[in-house]
Amino acid sequence: MRVQLFGTCLVDSFFPEVGESMLKLFRRFGVTAVFPKKQTCCGQPAFNAGYADDARAVASHFLSVFDGDDPIVTPSGSCAAMVKHRYPDLFRTDPVMHAKAERTAGRIYELSQFLVRFLRAHESGFAGKGTVTYHSSCHLARDLGVRDEPLILLQSMKGVRFVPMPDASRCCGFGGMFMAKLPEISCALADEKADSILATGADTVTGCDAGCLMNIGDAMKKRAKPVQVRHIAQVLAEGL
Amino acid sequence: MTSPDLLRRFLENAGNAAAGTHIVSDATDLCRVLSDIVPGTDPAFCPGLTDKEKAAAPALPCRAADYAGAAATVEEVYGAIAETGSLVCVSSSGRAVQAGLLPAHHVAIVSRERIFATLDDCFASFPEDPPTNITLVTGPSRTADIELTLAIGVHGPERLDIIVFLSEPCSEA
Amino acid sequence: MSDVQTSLAFRANATRALGDASLRSAMRQAADTFGTKRADAFASVADLEALRDKASALRLQVLDRLQEYEEMFASRATKAGATVHRARDASSAREIIAGILTDRGAKTVVKSKSMVSEEIHLNAHLEKAGMEVLETDLGEYIIQLVGETPSHIIVPAIHKNRQQVGRLFAEKLGVEYTEDPQVLTKIARRAIREKFLNADAGLSGANFAAAASGSLVLFTNEGNGRMVTTVPPLHIAILSLEKMIPSLADLPTFIRLLPRSATGQSITSYVSVITGTRKPGEATGAKELHIVLLDNGRTEILSGECREILKCIRCGACMNVCPVYRTVGGHSYGWTYPGPMGIVLTTLLTGMAKSHPLVDASTLCGACVEVCPVRIPLVDLFLKLRERRVREGFSKPMEKRGMRVFGKAAASPSLFSAGQFLSRTFWPLVRAFGGKDVAGRLPRPANVPFHRQVP
Repeated sequence: MRVQLFGTCLVDSFFPEVGESMLKLFRRFGVTAVFPKKQTCCGQPAFNAGYADDARAVASHFLSVFDGDDPIVTPSGSCAAMVKHRYPDLFRTDPVMHAKAERTAGRIYELSQFLVRFLRAHESGFAGKGTVTYHSSCHLARDLGVRDEPLILLQSMKGVRFVPMPDASRCCGFGGMFMAKLPEISCALADEKADSILATGADTVTGCDAGCLMNIGDAMKKRAKPVQVRHIAQVLAEGL
Repeated sequence: MTSPDLLRRFLENAGNAAAGTHIVSDATDLCRVLSDIVPGTDPAFCPGLTDKEKAAAPALPCRAADYAGAAATVEEVYGAIAETGSLVCVSSSGRAVQAGLLPAHHVAIVSRERIFATLDDCFASFPEDPPTNITLVTGPSRTADIELTLAIGVHGPERLDIIVFLSEPCSEA
Repeated sequence: MSDVQTSLAFRANATRALGDASLRSAMRQAADTFGTKRADAFASVADLEALRDKASALRLQVLDRLQEYEEMFASRATKAGATVHRARDASSAREIIAGILTDRGAKTVVKSKSMVSEEIHLNAHLEKAGMEVLETDLGEYIIQLVGETPSHIIVPAIHKNRQQVGRLFAEKLGVEYTEDPQVLTKIARRAIREKFLNADAGLSGANFAAAASGSLVLFTNEGNGRMVTTVPPLHIAILSLEKMIPSLADLPTFIRLLPRSATGQSITSYVSVITGTRKPGEATGAKELHIVLLDNGRTEILSGECREILKCIRCGACMNVCPVYRTVGGHSYGWTYPGPMGIVLTTLLTGMAKSHPLVDASTLCGACVEVCPVRIPLVDLFLKLRERRVREGFSKPMEKRGMRVFGKAAASPSLFSAGQFLSRTFWPLVRAFGGKDVAGRLPRPANVPFHRQVP
């Protein structure tokens, strides 16, 4: 099986280890992961801030880079949701691009979604140690409907104790540009999320979106006993 | 919904809304319940318009001429709704709906036959030009405006009792 | 107090609110309580999704034929004895109502909750005209005593704790201090009962207006709505146009959705359906009923891309689940309507110039969309408003330039790479420029971006 890998701009710039983990996972499952070198970003930062033209420029580039028939897999619920749910409408006045967007929207998946549904990875015998809890990212859960897959994967890990977080699906306060525009509120929300995480007693918190994890990581820095923050790709890759 | 189910559902939902519920089958029963729940010294307002309201008279020794100064209103109401445990109070036939609003204690008599299964059934029972006032009453008045703490008895009644009449007091069909 | 809109200061308002520990605790408790209660209440409802679909369809049906329903309502209500007035805007509504009261020589007015009356600053206007306007809903009564505006559309005094209410009553009503909500409620009952019985007029809002019968529908728990609309001889109701439902046959759908969405109750203590004035031979109803239908910008919204906000039934479910509202409270939004629905309605009714920071008051988490009983696509509306903000020239020039650069760079791999290299190399400068609030929270860029590591 072959997939196209969309790393996302955050992973590319700040968390290449997440990309590495994804490659490791695909290797293990015999999936050929092609990384189109010209990829950059899905365009969310511009789109969410109301700059549709600028977002369209980025989206057009994405659509040409990821042209093809293979599934596209990305370690980000929000980026997958952007492509899947926002791209078609972004090109609503251009029939050719709209059709292209619809085709692409139909073949993009978030990582945990892909691992469970296509590869049945939860039956492969992941292993690990320690206690882990899970933050349910907003676009992942509400836009893509991916709520169970990450839990299925984490709970399949032998030797790992999973503890659910109170208010797991409450927003962590990242919200992309929100973090930059209303940092006081963003920090307050991240602090509450950190409280929820600490209440679980887990040594690791994981999730499927690097943006959320980055925001949570920042809140954790100020805590006496910070919890390790890892992307689900890393947790699983280490459990191979 | 069968008739016993309807009644049971109504009583359960009314009870959950903090209404007292009672079942009677004749005038004697009615008076017994009223003597229990309306203290003899409390001035009670009873319109005396319907047969059941007239049958209630012996149990209410202290009568208020008007609902404004009454401690309790005892009246028969238009109907009830099983789905929500509500009473249906209506302004037709010269009834003062606010009689059940002003006093601290509202005692409502309703025939079992007048219990609608659903809200839809209730609203379907009115003509195209509805009466001036239709009020669904579910439990006593309440608020949670202070720290979301429930307080029963605000501007409306502090206590609601519902007496379901199982059959007509003076007729056997 | 706040007749002045402060939405432009949203960030400052919010930051101040963040420092108010008792407010935050009250908001947190409220949001958590309502969230749980709503979930519990709907757990026993057979097909919630079908109910939401039905409610959404009914509201859209009304919006698509609003003028028709409005005319039907006016004609039926008039036939039933009411006088129907149409108010194009806030000032005309105020004049109509003040005019009716002055004509009747009405001096004391008892009022039940109406968000629309807040929107048009009605109380202040009537008080200037020499009338006494008494709020009778306990939450509204409390904030009237303290001189504030509501911070939540269902529980207006949610930001006040029991000690604050206790001190307020002791000071303003001359009663002994108590912080027991049961006792405080009884104090309010006694204080307000007298006013109900002697008021010249009752002023109310309406949750819905049923067009086919010309009826007003009020959902209340306290009984004040019933008092206000049936005890005084004169009743004036004000409601905005879009509150229509086709007929009373459609009311059950909203009875099933509104109380559960708002407070988690399966039904409010009272649902009153008022059709016209007291008829000959009747003993219930106001002798005189005036219904003021307010436009104040609704017709304009109806013809625009954000028209679905007019489906709103004012349940408050969206604000109860909103992470931002929960943290900063209603006053931060600076106008009558807070939370997710408030972002949209405020921006549309008062204009971008007075409210544009509000469109950023969302992380786009979608929690509101999940709970809206009439399926308003709130996140889509936020995005539309953000686009409108850029189009109308209310975004910061530096941001606009930055987005243009981003658009070009992210569409060009070599530029993108160059950008990454520069920010990596000059990271301390980027941090200093971006500020500790923003760039200070980002980790240092990786030495080798992922795309360089891939074979």
